[in-house]
Amino acid sequence: MDRREAVKNMAFLMGGALSATTIGVFLEGCNSPSTKTNGSLFTEDQLKMITEVADIIIPTTNTPGAKAAGVGPFIALMVKDCYPEDAQKAFVKGLEDLEEQSKDEFKKSFLEISVDQRQQLLSKLRDQTVVDTKAERDALDSQEKADREKKTTNPEDAKSQTENQEEVSILPKEKLNMKPRFFAIARDLTLLGYFTSETGATKAYEYVEIPGRYDGCADLKPGQRVWAS
Amino acid sequence: MSNLNTKATANNTYDAIVVGSGISGGWAAKELTEKGLKVLLLERGRNIEHVKDYTTALKKPWEFEHRGRITEAQKEAHPVQKRDYPYSEFNESFWVNDHDCPYTEVKRFDWYRGFHVGGKSLMWGRQSYRFSDLNFEDNLKDGHGVDWPIRYKDLAPWYDYVEKFAGISGQNEGWPALPDGQFLPPMEMNCLEKDVKKRIEDKWKKSRIMTIGRVANLTVPHGGRGSCQYRNLCSRGCPYGAYFSTQSSTLPAAVATNNLTLRPFSLVNTIIYDKETQKAKGVVVIDSETKETIEYFAKIVFVNGSTLGSTFLLLNSTSNEHPNGLGNGSGQLGHNLMDHHFRCGASGRSEDFKDKYTYGRRANGIYIPRYRNMGNDKRDYVRGFGYQGGASRGNWHADVAEMAFGAEFKDQMTVPGAWTMGLGGFGESLPYHENRVYIDKSKKDKWGQPVLAIDCEFKDNERKMRVDMMNDAAEMLEAAGIKDVKTYDNGSAPGMAIHEMGTARMGHDPKTSVLNKWNQMHEVKNVFVTDGSCMTSAACQNPSLTYMALTARACDFAVSELKKGNL
Repeated sequence: MDRREAVKNMAFLMGGALSATTIGVFLEGCNSPSTKTNGSLFTEDQLKMITEVADIIIPTTNTPGAKAAGVGPFIALMVKDCYPEDAQKAFVKGLEDLEEQSKDEFKKSFLEISVDQRQQLLSKLRDQTVVDTKAERDALDSQEKADREKKTTNPEDAKSQTENQEEVSILPKEKLNMKPRFFAIARDLTLLGYFTSETGATKAYEYVEIPGRYDGCADLKPGQRVWAS
Repeated sequence: MSNLNTKATANNTYDAIVVGSGISGGWAAKELTEKGLKVLLLERGRNIEHVKDYTTALKKPWEFEHRGRITEAQKEAHPVQKRDYPYSEFNESFWVNDHDCPYTEVKRFDWYRGFHVGGKSLMWGRQSYRFSDLNFEDNLKDGHGVDWPIRYKDLAPWYDYVEKFAGISGQNEGWPALPDGQFLPPMEMNCLEKDVKKRIEDKWKKSRIMTIGRVANLTVPHGGRGSCQYRNLCSRGCPYGAYFSTQSSTLPAAVATNNLTLRPFSLVNTIIYDKETQKAKGVVVIDSETKETIEYFAKIVFVNGSTLGSTFLLLNSTSNEHPNGLGNGSGQLGHNLMDHHFRCGASGRSEDFKDKYTYGRRANGIYIPRYRNMGNDKRDYVRGFGYQGGASRGNWHADVAEMAFGAEFKDQMTVPGAWTMGLGGFGESLPYHENRVYIDKSKKDKWGQPVLAIDCEFKDNERKMRVDMMNDAAEMLEAAGIKDVKTYDNGSAPGMAIHEMGTARMGHDPKTSVLNKWNQMHEVKNVFVTDGSCMTSAACQNPSLTYMALTARACDFAVSELKKGNL
């Protein structure tokens, strides 16, 4: 059950929907060779942008936001250390595109526009990411369906107990090779970085280092926040 | 052997050698030393000292640079270990570098390994269930594999014995297919689990039951060890010694006898066969740091190097008398490899208990023991499966928009969401003769040894069983009032359950099995194999408790035979 819990907790931590790229990176490992980059992937301004993007995704409310929790540098570190080269490139490109978008729409750098304007840009980017992801997934699904129909073998026709033809394999399926997308990665890493940061875990969530006991039926107290784990 | 330095021989001589320091090797060391034997415990990896070397056990989430995730560089060094979640930043150093110890995958087989004192007893899932006569009789009844040479009554007192020492918490249920035991107080089910249990047991009139997981975590202080603090960080090593591991339990007992010599960095390359006595006389060790070769001698050898580690050692121990591997006259050594198949089931959410929450992180879940192909139930496959699962309440909310962000989203994420409940099946696989391992001389490991080739797959019986594993889970959850129940089958590759077993099986007949009913090699009487390789069938229960009981029983027999002068 530890296994199941681990995957499930991750999905919940991420607000229910992880990007395919992040699932691949975190849960199944990634097959791409690692980048040989030694220095930073990002310019100084891009590092600042990452911090501001994260702070739009998790802003300060009655608890501190992503910026105050130091999520920006965490995202930069994670993209450099834990993502394959194609995702790193997509991430840098995403920052460049976002900057360009800002200049097109507001004639200013992303670092100079207002929070409201940043929200507008990211909402647009989010909507586009949702549409693109769905289109890609649909295309992959229909491709898979077409491939399956080409194979006419009925699993029930497997000749014997001891013959496991490819068609009846119960091996895990190859993970969908989805394109890495800037917004999805930025959001995944903001949520991960924020809720596991000291600020996020202790102020937005509630963290008890050593519970010492288990109560499976405690009264939910008014204002009770989610436990950090 | 005239060139042997007799003084060196004397210095390297013990009463017993135990190969491997994991769950079963730790037990062998404890039992044999407590019975007065001078024991050399050989471990291929480094030492990990209890508590002191659990370097991540007390770290807070934010003290992990990558918050538990592994880096691209770590993935490159661990192409196999990275395939599933157990390999993470939280206990990264407990897993092997796959490049040091390659193997050949004729078909996909995920081989998870940890080379260090304690072996996988440090990272194990701790679920501890007895086998029943249903399991011991299945092979005989349906004709797959060979008959187990033991029945439940042979093992029952040894289950009692190891449970009492290890400290297993759980609830007695009087369920014939999952015998009761010597349990510490059970962990508590949460309110949704209690409700689901009641509804399932009512609906199926107790022909299906749900119980709290029987787990090797202490619910009260036990044997000088502290009780569980409900941190749910077990796989990093427990600073309270609150779960069973070699370090917390069997090793201190063995050390206390003053009869134990523990030698880390000792990779056992071969068992030395003496054709005069027709027994093993010792082992050849490669010092895994210096690559120096050393011989050690003993009256008896316990092989506990993990299922495939032990099988490799036996296959690699060839002589004129045993050209196909030590004690392999049957040709069965390396065959009949099994693992559990899992990663399929169902989950959903509850609309109840909105005013309830949990406190503490329980490192345990619930268990539904096997009910299929029992009594009058007859399916289109043989054997059965059990479920592990549980209910929890996190920050999952049904109404979160895709890729939501911003203030409202953040605040919603911090408020407890719906209760969710899931059931995941663990299914028995059959002992297929053609699922096997053999030595591949085309590659070498870091220490110059040939490697293992693994040729194993799940087949039709497992595939058919998975249909039930998925649909039964959904049916039970729906009967229990769970909403939005969704089934899943994420597929299962052999090795993923880390319950590999069966490649040196026990049996009545030396022609069709490697070990007798005492885990003693039919052909080499002073060699005992008591890790997962001895298993004649897999059942669907987590197997480690059975390895413990078989080990303690075999040690008792071995010492009594030794005293009688039979070994």
